[in-house]
Amino acid sequence: MHMSSTDHFILIILSMLVALGPRLLPMKFFTTRKIPEWFNEWMKYVPVSLFTALVVKDIFINTSHYTFIGFGHLAKLLAAVIVMVVAYKSRSMGLSVVLGLAAVALLSMVIPG
Amino acid sequence: MTKEQPRWLEVLKVALPLCLSYIPIGLACGVLLHAAGFNTILTGLASMLVFSGGAQFLIASMLTANAPMHTILFMLFFLELRYALLGSSLSQYVQGTSKKFIYFFAISLNDENYAVNYLKFATDKEWSPNDAMMVEHYSLLSWTVANVIGSLVGGMLPKINLEIVDFALTSLFLYMIVMQIRNKLTILISAFSAVLAVIFMCLLKSTMGLVVATIIASLTGFAIENYLRKHGREKGFLLKNIKPNKQ
Repeated sequence: MHMSSTDHFILIILSMLVALGPRLLPMKFFTTRKIPEWFNEWMKYVPVSLFTALVVKDIFINTSHYTFIGFGHLAKLLAAVIVMVVAYKSRSMGLSVVLGLAAVALLSMVIPG
Repeated sequence: MTKEQPRWLEVLKVALPLCLSYIPIGLACGVLLHAAGFNTILTGLASMLVFSGGAQFLIASMLTANAPMHTILFMLFFLELRYALLGSSLSQYVQGTSKKFIYFFAISLNDENYAVNYLKFATDKEWSPNDAMMVEHYSLLSWTVANVIGSLVGGMLPKINLEIVDFALTSLFLYMIVMQIRNKLTILISAFSAVLAVIFMCLLKSTMGLVVATIIASLTGFAIENYLRKHGREKGFLLKNIKPNKQ
């Protein structure tokens, strides 16, 4: 599906609303009330599940056919391990991202595919 | 001798590490949005209005994969749902501010400036809602500038390997996964989500598999933790805290 700049503009505005809802509504609500415990408990596991799924999509899935490619992206897989080690040791977002980019660029030169 | 510094400078010092780490990610994001067909003005607009690295990378990669608009928005909603938790947990500190303040504070909230502000609110009694808002605006500024430059660079160098630039987002997510790990159950749920993501994406042949995997994995984590707590196993193998190594 090809989108024009107008479509893109609409997408941005709708994205803003979708992004704003979860940020604003609970904040407005909970400045006067207490957060239900079960909601907090559930939300604790949402980021880690979602981020993992997104990482898996990038490393293990061929997104044009949605097939499992195993170790087809070996360079990305190795770079991902490096990023995790760097993130754990340094706890720095910037360093993790920069070294991740450098690792995947260098590794994909060495490992074809 | 320490001279009294203007407040904006003191807050800038707090926000600076965050602003600097936004530069490489923002550049990569700008390049990707350009490749997805966004012009520079739209990229700048998206950076200011959506202001979420994860969301903007998602928009870029889904547009490149020709996903329809409703799928993008649905995925985005799930990606942004976590802000409900972040917003709720900060709300105790911004009580007593105006409705307008809450609105502008919420719109510029994201993972990273949340982390900075939450830490400051928890440890620094002087830290005010206005300071927190300033941190948000500094990070917004550096994010937007980096995105716009990325978009311009993307326009000048058409031969950038997008697979590699796209890995900036994967690195960002990996970093956030590592930061989320509190106990062995988190690791288990992460692995479970990985398996579910593969199964459901191959089965559904779309990124809806991500949503299904996220819902099942997070509810499973919630259920297991609930079960273990009810049976008095807070200090057991799965729920025992893993101490992060402080630098």
